[in-house]
Amino acid sequence: MENKVLTVCPYCGSGCQLYLLVENGQVVGAEPADGRTNEGNLCLKGHYGWDFLNDPQLLTSRLRKPMIRKEGVLQEVSWEEAIGFTAEKLNAIKEKYGPDAIMGTGSARGPGNEANYVMQKFMRAVIGTNNIDHCARVCHGPSVAGLTYSLGDGAMSNSIPEIENTDLLLIFGYNAAVTHPIVARRIVKAKQKGAVLIVADPRKTESARIADTWLPLKGGTNMALVNAFGHVLIEEELYDKDYVSNFVQGFDEYKANVEKYTPEYAERITGVRAADIRKVMRQYAKSGKAMILYGMGVCQFAQAVDVVKGLASLALLTGHFGRESVGIGPVRGQNNVQGSCDMGALPNVYPGYQSVEDAKIRKKFEKAWGTSLPDKTGYRLTEVPHLILKENKIKAYYIFGEDPVQSDPNAAELREALDQLELVIVQDIFMNKTALHADVILPATSWGEHDGVYSSADRGFQRIRKAIDPPGEVKPDWQIISEVSTAMGYPMAYKNSEEIWDEMRKLCPSFAGASYSKMEALGGVQWPCPSEDHPGTPYLYQGNRFTTPSGKGQLFACEWRAPLEQPDDEYPLTLSTVREVGHYSVRTMTGNCRALSQLSDEPGNIQISLEDAAEHGIADGQLVQVYSRRGHIMARAQVSGRIKKGATYMTYHFWIGACNELTVDYLDPVSKTPEFKYCAVRIEAISDQAQAEALVRKQYAELRKQMLVGAVPE
Amino acid sequence: MNHAASNSLVIAEAAKCIGCKACELACFAVHNRDNGVGTAVGTVTMPVLPRLYVIRTDSFTMPVQCRQCENAPCAGACPVQAIRQQDGVIAIDAEACIGCKACALACPFGAISLYKAYSGGAELPQPLLQERRDSRLQRKTRITAYKCDLCRNTELPGGSAAGEGAGGRGSSAAAAQDRNPFPACVAVCPEKALRLVEAGTGRSRSLNREGGTF
Repeated sequence: MENKVLTVCPYCGSGCQLYLLVENGQVVGAEPADGRTNEGNLCLKGHYGWDFLNDPQLLTSRLRKPMIRKEGVLQEVSWEEAIGFTAEKLNAIKEKYGPDAIMGTGSARGPGNEANYVMQKFMRAVIGTNNIDHCARVCHGPSVAGLTYSLGDGAMSNSIPEIENTDLLLIFGYNAAVTHPIVARRIVKAKQKGAVLIVADPRKTESARIADTWLPLKGGTNMALVNAFGHVLIEEELYDKDYVSNFVQGFDEYKANVEKYTPEYAERITGVRAADIRKVMRQYAKSGKAMILYGMGVCQFAQAVDVVKGLASLALLTGHFGRESVGIGPVRGQNNVQGSCDMGALPNVYPGYQSVEDAKIRKKFEKAWGTSLPDKTGYRLTEVPHLILKENKIKAYYIFGEDPVQSDPNAAELREALDQLELVIVQDIFMNKTALHADVILPATSWGEHDGVYSSADRGFQRIRKAIDPPGEVKPDWQIISEVSTAMGYPMAYKNSEEIWDEMRKLCPSFAGASYSKMEALGGVQWPCPSEDHPGTPYLYQGNRFTTPSGKGQLFACEWRAPLEQPDDEYPLTLSTVREVGHYSVRTMTGNCRALSQLSDEPGNIQISLEDAAEHGIADGQLVQVYSRRGHIMARAQVSGRIKKGATYMTYHFWIGACNELTVDYLDPVSKTPEFKYCAVRIEAISDQAQAEALVRKQYAELRKQMLVGAVPE
Repeated sequence: MNHAASNSLVIAEAAKCIGCKACELACFAVHNRDNGVGTAVGTVTMPVLPRLYVIRTDSFTMPVQCRQCENAPCAGACPVQAIRQQDGVIAIDAEACIGCKACALACPFGAISLYKAYSGGAELPQPLLQERRDSRLQRKTRITAYKCDLCRNTELPGGSAAGEGAGGRGSSAAAAQDRNPFPACVAVCPEKALRLVEAGTGRSRSLNREGGTF
């Protein structure tokens, strides 16, 4: 008996719809569906990334029963004991240290919007704190902050399908071929249809390879280049004077700030030819429709929010808003990172981006949730290690569907912080590096095992559906949180995810009309969707009305700041963390898909230039040692002519070659997003390759043992 | 269908390829259904063995695969006549192959690889030769040449075995129905960078020159 279940891919934020093929209660394949963004196409993760549901135990093992650490060892317990223990501990810590000593996360991955809504409600209404945040902090946090300031909404202004119909694409620090193959398809199609393609990236990415102009800027010089762009628009009077005077504020200050950033001055900083800077801005300003796409190459710097505002300013100066195929697109990298932001898994906003500091809004939520709510912004995810180790402020950490030890910078410090806490709760689908530090583990259902809604990168609410029954004794995330809440004295009981969704819609004006039945009928709904009869909104800022307090777009420029940790004699190379196409984030899912893990496996690669490889005597494919001031790891050298001398790149998916043992935890002052894209490292060749290979195999075996691989499932 | 004048082939456009390797995985999966790949049954214990290879250099990215040469140098080089013109493609008879590598050396595209043979997900041992593995003598795994066969001998997902053309099982109409309408790589590519050039469609269009040197 084979049946097909329509759902949404659980990997990047492209929001591809697919059918899961189910036979005898097992997923046996995936087929592309005709979704709004993917139109019958999938990348290799969509095609082969479902296999983890079958728990093949390659990298780690599926969590099937709740566990509590007793005498230092995690032991399986009943749900009753696990929920009771968690509630009692949380109550005791709240009692002893106050609610702000407890931190919680949302999850931008499998759980979906309903679970995130329940989680932030739990932290705010039950614990009594706004200390909730999630991995957007380490990715598009700067977009949320910067675009909210400049335009009013922190999401993509336009939709993924519109990309292919633009006249010009400016792609900045964004490698779509690797991060969003289905968005890359639109870029390829735009090019085929005659659009001009401009790519600013230190690496020769696939988009750079097919670009009309590639601007190979030096890593960490974004602001100087963006300022020079603005300088040219003003100096050559390319900007739209009418548009600026009608819809934009802050021009004089902006003009003064970009004054000194002549293309020649910027060339000295960025290495990009002044003539190219002028050429691309003339093209951008004169295009009927021009779109900016950007990614982590903008956001993962200590100067990120400024650059986001700077990019938005370019579109404001030239009037590229309020129509199809224009605007600015921070393409969200996780299937539901847009959704966890939408649902208020952030320390400063309730669901629907409603401020926790606004008394009127707070009253609305207090009334709905029947309790008083805290009024000050909570802690941010990336401040947690410091708050634990230096300020002694956090005592309990409820980690829901995240693996910070693998995904966050400076892993050693994070491990130390977790071990200092009185209570670490891990709620997840697989054993992971963070779970090794947990006091209690709550096993949850995975994508494919529950219903819900994901938000795609372009603000598209889409239904995910249950295809198979979950293994063991696992429960849906929202049910687990509800049970902990009830045990703590705040009863929560939902019948299904739709009931949660409807409660959320009543409280969020911009999501109010996006009912399950409407999603069913239309295949998805793009917010804002204020009422039942509203069809959704493919592009924002129609009529050039921005959602800023003044209703106008805000221009912004400021001085360029160099990244904080600069290379020196001891650590002469720079390291930037990136992604690769066949794996995903912390790899608990793709690392447990047989085909995907065969394609690329531990210890992961470090991409280096031909020159640096020759200088160190390193051949392609050899294992090397990589050191930074924070740690050292082994990885496999990937020697490439597409990399600049002095720069190296590692993907953050691998557990043995874990680049976050090396990365630095410097943060953007506004968004608190770490500088993943720049730290100093040293690389050393290994003379005895056979011994190194054996060591990798040994480390892999040890890891799998730690991850309880081979423990016989019932 | 089977035009004597030219073989069908799969060709890629570098201007569209993003190097995602979906084609490599699809190729591997479709040719290894018997080895439990691409289904939830059994465990994929074998490495990914594709028959096309995503090549990435400084200036281009694209998959390279067999061109089904009309005067195939691989066939000319094979000492045991294991490579033949068959049904509009150049076909390797894996049973007859002796693993001598002459075809791989002769191929100007690097489109032939020698891989271990698998059966039922396990390495297929040969009857005679032995080698020392894990400090004991074991039968050596059979190694044969593999290349793109345009998915002629593969099954449709969930379907029955593909037909072997005229003279195969049942009528040729039924055979044509069973056969994969497109090679797996062409069907799976999210960028539509691969296409099947059918036998007898006359001129074979040259590669888009833009592909090489942006």
